[in-house]
Amino acid sequence: MNTTSNNNSVQSVVSNLTKQFRANIQTYAIIVAMIFIWILFTIATGGLYLSPQNISNLIRQMTVTSFLAVGMVLVIVTGNIDLSVGKVAGFVSVIVAQFQAEIWNMILPDRPLLTTILSVVIGLAAGTLIGTLQGYIISYLAVPSFIVTLGAQWAFNGGILIVTQGKTIPANQPLFSWIGQGYLKPTAGWIVAAGVIVTLFYTMLNNRQKKRRYGFELSPLYMDILKTALYSVLIVVYVAIVNSFNGVSIPVLLLAISAVVMAYVSNNTRFGRYAYAIGGNREAARLSGVNIKKNVFSIFVVMGLLCGVSGIVLASYIGYGTVAAGGGYELDAIASCILGGTSTLGGEGTVFGAMIGSLIMASLTNGLQILNVPSSWQYVVKGIVLILAVYTDVYFKKNR
Amino acid sequence: MNNDHAVLSTHVNDDISTTTDPSSDDIILDFRNVTKQFPGVVALRDVSLQIRRGEIHGICGENGAGKSTLMKILSGVYPWGTYEGQIFFEGQELKLENRSIRQAIEAGIAIVYQELTLVPGITVGENIFLGKEPLEHGAINWDKLYADTQNLLTEYKLDIHPQALVKNLGVGKMQMTEIAKALSENARILILDEPTSALAEAEIEQLMTILRTLKEHGVTCIYISHKLNEFFAITDTVTVLRDGRVITTQPTRDLSVEKLVSYMVGREMTERFPESHRQPGEVVLEVEDLHAVDPEESTREVLKGVSFNLRKGEVLGIAGLMGSGRTELAMTIFGEYGKITRGTVKLGGQTLNVRNSHDAMIQGLSLVPEDRKRHGLVLIQSILRNISLPNLDQFATWYKIDDNAELKASRNFAQSLAIKAPHLNVLCNTLSGGNQQKVVISKWLMSNPKVLIMDDPTRGIDVGAKYEIYKLINDLTAQGIAIIMISSDLEEVLGMSDRIMVMHAGRSAGTLDIAEATQERVMSLATGIA
Repeated sequence: MNTTSNNNSVQSVVSNLTKQFRANIQTYAIIVAMIFIWILFTIATGGLYLSPQNISNLIRQMTVTSFLAVGMVLVIVTGNIDLSVGKVAGFVSVIVAQFQAEIWNMILPDRPLLTTILSVVIGLAAGTLIGTLQGYIISYLAVPSFIVTLGAQWAFNGGILIVTQGKTIPANQPLFSWIGQGYLKPTAGWIVAAGVIVTLFYTMLNNRQKKRRYGFELSPLYMDILKTALYSVLIVVYVAIVNSFNGVSIPVLLLAISAVVMAYVSNNTRFGRYAYAIGGNREAARLSGVNIKKNVFSIFVVMGLLCGVSGIVLASYIGYGTVAAGGGYELDAIASCILGGTSTLGGEGTVFGAMIGSLIMASLTNGLQILNVPSSWQYVVKGIVLILAVYTDVYFKKNR
Repeated sequence: MNNDHAVLSTHVNDDISTTTDPSSDDIILDFRNVTKQFPGVVALRDVSLQIRRGEIHGICGENGAGKSTLMKILSGVYPWGTYEGQIFFEGQELKLENRSIRQAIEAGIAIVYQELTLVPGITVGENIFLGKEPLEHGAINWDKLYADTQNLLTEYKLDIHPQALVKNLGVGKMQMTEIAKALSENARILILDEPTSALAEAEIEQLMTILRTLKEHGVTCIYISHKLNEFFAITDTVTVLRDGRVITTQPTRDLSVEKLVSYMVGREMTERFPESHRQPGEVVLEVEDLHAVDPEESTREVLKGVSFNLRKGEVLGIAGLMGSGRTELAMTIFGEYGKITRGTVKLGGQTLNVRNSHDAMIQGLSLVPEDRKRHGLVLIQSILRNISLPNLDQFATWYKIDDNAELKASRNFAQSLAIKAPHLNVLCNTLSGGNQQKVVISKWLMSNPKVLIMDDPTRGIDVGAKYEIYKLINDLTAQGIAIIMISSDLEEVLGMSDRIMVMHAGRSAGTLDIAEATQERVMSLATGIA
């Protein structure tokens, strides 16, 4: 008797898990691909790849372009594209560097905290302003986003050259550098991790409570606990690993916050829902009372803001404003979204997927670097992986 | 019937390895015991069906009866080997490879789909000869292409200009082009899948004439439709499918509408329209002398004086031919199409000023659009997301949507409209036409409208689902909602309306009380005779 009921409950757990798996097959497929890549590199590098130092580096390396990918998801979901993000982030980075290197010394000498805050504000404002302008032209003047952002890419490439005068601008003041290069102290890292885990469990239980109040059927408690526990374990493992090196890095923390906020916005606000509806069927969205112009405009404003964040982190991380700042980042960001399951036709895509996509790109680059593969071949491999990944997706969709 | 079985058993006893069939002289297409299974569903069960050379063979059945599965087998979407049984075409067993529509066409089978498949930006001639352009020294011989097109069109009495751009043609002429394209491939059997679903009465009449011409030329047709009276107008034989089975194949002259309906639904259906006891109240919507122009082209007047009123709890039917301005009227009142140049729209005594659908919704107007796939639904999203889309304001604070409240409200509508789906996260592109339409109606009822405009609400959905929609219309009027029902189906307008406004050339040609309305009167107003 006992064994059969045990068997039954095991079976129901398994069938629940497989159901979950089927529903999210695309997401899981890409996670599997990522793990496969990690295993491959771990073997090839004799374990070096999974050392705390390298994991810390790898995840930090992905941050600058990941900020762009976070915003790019919604841009592509609405059926648009933004080719300017790399150069806009680059432009923000050289402006910020210019303030850090010269202007603050002239007008606010020896005020590191104030000037750092002002640099951040200026960077965010510049990004948002550029996003607003582009969004206005795309949405209200009805020029296709491909054209506007291609033009902007050139314009801000010029802007970078004008600001830098072809020189490299140092932005390596200690406090400012902390944004892109700093780490949380191990204890602080654990406190943040504990806070996040408590919030996860609280939210999970709170959601169940609310659903119960509405009289909805609940998924089994163990499923929710299992899921939340899995996330918690991942967080603990990450913090443990990076703490044995330098600690949780600041840009990774900033990225996590941006990604969580944008994931929330895309699912739980009218703004996010409308974006998916516009990309899914523009006419149906319009007839459903969605203000398409306003929504697309807002998305480009948000994209601009994230370019600002990316630019600030970029300047701080490399410690310079350079002529080449941000070159090609837009393609990395777009590729991350596509790898993460965002449909080029619009209407489909998640922030979470884009983050995994971004991690895959970073994992590849990092692994190939450790193996001393020349950068020429790194490009070849990345290109092939992108095409292969999308082909796999097309193949599975066709044969489902 | 007995006779059929006898013929069938001799077929079965034939040596299967030979691919020719001695007894097939007058049988052009022969399905023998075709069964098609999907995981969990049997779409076709042991279907045996013979199409005689030169006849027009009607196939009817509710959605899900197996008509489209049958067509998908004929076009190679479900290739040879994925179904049981055999299909003989001209005495040869048909063995189509995966998705090889090309192969089916070369064999002489052409399908004219419900959704037309022409390239809009090029001419009629180019479309007809697309992929097989006549060449001269490697370049396209345009003179020959257009001359051949003209010959083809003249032969079959199709009144289209070979050099007209397809996007400038009406739906009826697009369909003619599609038929011409099939004929240019030397099609020996032409399959028309719901050919009249987008056509107005006059265009349907034209299509019927064309089909008769084709018959004179010896072309065999399979005619699939939801509109039963068309079978009596055009077909020689009708086959009824239900639940994947052939229920009967009979000469059309032995059938009646009542018989057909009872074969289709498996029970006697005494009435196509549910009974209603409406008591219209005070006037809620008044439209007076409405003039509007095409927003893209301000010299083109699409509405040239439309006046009517609508009472609480009433159904006002709007009839009219394609291009009479019916849809334009609906869209203009809803704030999404025409620029109003003269006249007024009053809702509850207040002059209405709507600039877009959002305004219209706030004022208490809802619109179930004509084309549910293009305008009604985001097909790649779930039922839940579709129902709540126009109504998110109800569930949202400035930053957050209460997803529990959203689910609860959506579920209430899904239940009261009996949307058939295991849960609300099912994507809309997997639903049947009738269920999709119910989703569209749900999303527009949630905003609690005073006036509901329904533009062709039963287009392309099966008899059973139509009946449910009609019942729903009665329920809504009982709740005091005023309904404008635009429809191309005259019987539907006559069966469901309290009054009928007939439109002709952008004007209201007349309003008839249901007691005085007949098909003839409506048609004469619609065609501008009266």
